[in-house]
Amino acid sequence: MAVEPPTFQLGLALLYWLAAFTSCCVMGLLVGFVASLASYGRNGPRVFRSTLARGFQDLVKVSWQRCQALASLTFKEATSRKAFLIGFLFILLFMFGGWFLSESNVEKPAMPYITFVMSAIYFLLNIMALLIACWGLPADIKARSLHTVVTKPVRRSEIVLGRMMGYSAVVLIVLAVTSIFGYFWIQRQVPERAKDQLIARVPVYGEIRFLSRSGQPAKSLTNVGDLWDYRTYVEGLTQARAIWEFDSLNVSELRKQGYVRLEQSFEAFRTFKGDVSDQVRYRITLLNPESGLRVPMPESYDVNEFSEDPEASVVIIPEELTYVESYDVDAEEKTVNLFDDVFDGNSLTVEIACIENEQYLGVARGDLFIRMPDRPFYVSYIKSIAGLGMMLILVVGLGTTASCFLKGPVSTFLTGSLIVLGNIFYEFVKDIYSQKVVQGRVLGGGMFESMYRLVTQMNMQSPLPDNVGTDIIKFLDERVFNLLFVVNAVIPNFTYFNTNQYTANGFDVPWMGALVPSFLITIGYLIPLIILGYFSLQLRELESK
Amino acid sequence: MSDSVIEIRNLSKVYRDFWGRAKVRALNSLSLDVKRGEVFGLLGPNGSGKTTTLKLLLGLLFPTEGQVRILGEPAHDVEKNERIGYLPEESYLYRFLNADETLDFYGKLFKMTKAERRERRDALIKRVGLEHARRRQLKEYSKGMTRRIGLAQALINDPELVLLDEPTSGLDPLGTADMKEMIRELKNEGKTVVMCSHLLADVQDVCDRIAILFRGELKVIGSVQELLEAKEETQLVTSSLDDATIREVESVLEKHGANLKSFSHPTSTLEELFLRTVKESEARPGRRFEPGERPSATTES
Repeated sequence: MAVEPPTFQLGLALLYWLAAFTSCCVMGLLVGFVASLASYGRNGPRVFRSTLARGFQDLVKVSWQRCQALASLTFKEATSRKAFLIGFLFILLFMFGGWFLSESNVEKPAMPYITFVMSAIYFLLNIMALLIACWGLPADIKARSLHTVVTKPVRRSEIVLGRMMGYSAVVLIVLAVTSIFGYFWIQRQVPERAKDQLIARVPVYGEIRFLSRSGQPAKSLTNVGDLWDYRTYVEGLTQARAIWEFDSLNVSELRKQGYVRLEQSFEAFRTFKGDVSDQVRYRITLLNPESGLRVPMPESYDVNEFSEDPEASVVIIPEELTYVESYDVDAEEKTVNLFDDVFDGNSLTVEIACIENEQYLGVARGDLFIRMPDRPFYVSYIKSIAGLGMMLILVVGLGTTASCFLKGPVSTFLTGSLIVLGNIFYEFVKDIYSQKVVQGRVLGGGMFESMYRLVTQMNMQSPLPDNVGTDIIKFLDERVFNLLFVVNAVIPNFTYFNTNQYTANGFDVPWMGALVPSFLITIGYLIPLIILGYFSLQLRELESK
Repeated sequence: MSDSVIEIRNLSKVYRDFWGRAKVRALNSLSLDVKRGEVFGLLGPNGSGKTTTLKLLLGLLFPTEGQVRILGEPAHDVEKNERIGYLPEESYLYRFLNADETLDFYGKLFKMTKAERRERRDALIKRVGLEHARRRQLKEYSKGMTRRIGLAQALINDPELVLLDEPTSGLDPLGTADMKEMIRELKNEGKTVVMCSHLLADVQDVCDRIAILFRGELKVIGSVQELLEAKEETQLVTSSLDDATIREVESVLEKHGANLKSFSHPTSTLEELFLRTVKESEARPGRRFEPGERPSATTES
């Protein structure tokens, strides 16, 4: 089975970012304006305007030489605080960690070792980044060493940037060292028989669309009653089809390989038992939408959903394809070249039909992928580490910004909470959102409804009494939900950064599915964080008693 | 170009608590000017508002009321810091850096080239007498050495205006004398120096003008000479006189309607005695002075 990357639409993400960024800016401006009116009375608008103008200048006229000097100082400071000791802790962990790892996963003996290394790096470095980023600036302010810096021609934006750069350099160096150590540890510890699992398989996922049982385009197919509606079901011997379009394929690489390897993880749904030894079967047709060419594969294939042999779910499509257009006995055999005739540029379209009468074939987007030639393990490992690096930079950004207006312990708590929420909150709110959109209501209600049900010992399904109290509860819950959605839109989604699952399962880390989103999320957050950090530091009296 | 390097008008500062309630009024409607090229002293007991004034000048604090202009720019302007040097009360420097690294770091903040930094660093380390300790981390420095490196960092940009907060605090008499000498040198180089201190003798020695603050308010301002001069009395200093000559002088004074209030041998200051003793000891190691004996002024050289 493959690990299906989440979809990431660049254009949409950019629009979403712009909307969120603009909203935050507008809110920040409003709060700032009200605060300056409250503090300076009639002079408030003038102070507000001049602060903004100064802020714009300070953010635009950043001197990289000064930033580098401050980054270098931050680096030395972290070194003097023994930040690199975390590397020794890591090595210590590995000296003894191997004793406690068992090959519990029979199918993938290499997996625990890879997961252990990646998880150890993830947790140790997260803690390290959190602590050094959250405590550095407050300690500097408390010791007043920052005073000698701000009385030089240094802009506060340069202090924020310099700090972020310095801490990032520290965590990235530790990340590089621990990763190199971890890589060789994996190579040494993984049993010889499992060494072949240290690869980076490259699945290419397509976009899926459907044709209904009458051959019309459909959003989904039959729902067989599964509570979890991940898959939709293709009805056997009807015109129902699931069609995958694989774009941006590296054709020259495939041509060099000489075939296309399809891997599937379909699920069968049987409406009658039939012969239990018989598999539900499906047929593959290759399409070229540009030329209208349809090439049915001569064979049909078993679903093999319970087979332990990984090759049982593989379909090899050779370069030379011989087929007949119809099932007439007299039909003429034709031969086409897969890459020249069936491929439309660098795209391939694959149509799947279930050929068992009254049986169903469960399909989802991730159930069929093209496996490109494998890459060495280090490729996926490095990409995973790069994802972690991006996350650490974001943690440093969050911590540094928080420390611009909070003391060390509080900013650590805030940043730590954001990391935890960014890992679990996103899925939680997504679930609430999908319940609201799909079912029109959230099971058990929101905060106030849940409290009411707990107090009155009412189950989640029973309707609330029809009275004013219920209206108030629903009104309040609606506001809380809206707040949750807003908070969810602001908190970084950390799940993109953790790409362990790809590497541990022997897959290459996809660029568009993981690395590009990680990079963009990091940049997308760093920009407002630098602005927020700057204004927090600029508007703060460093000597305030 | 304006003659005033610092212009302070009706400057007030109120420290507030978390809820915004006034906790203490540290400065109350202060107005004063500091002229170009002078050494200006801010005097006052602890808590009189000297350091608050300096921090308001530097933008470390925001005024509650009033205006401040330094070198013609408002206090919050970053660019003006190109021409300012600041020595804080405690030398708040990075203790994990050594003297070379410290000056190099501050030089970088002024966007100096590597060659400029090296040249300036070497000159300043020599000037403050830290050549022997330039590679030691600041955390190993004594108080006096820390003040010296603090002064060096304040001068890294060859500033027009130097703000010194308690420059001689914690220094031994030798260090104090060196510091005062360096302040005089800065004045001779045409720089404006503003220092705040509660060590009156130090201020008297180096300052051209002073302001005395008390509980946040300006009480006295003027030139040291003018403020300390006792115009109703005249002091004559001569070589040693015998009793007969003294009586003769007394009768001459009486003839002119004046009376001799007191006469004695003039004394030097304790600081002078200390400095002479140290220098004599350096010049002649092992020499001990008999009780009552003192190093003569001629041994100073």
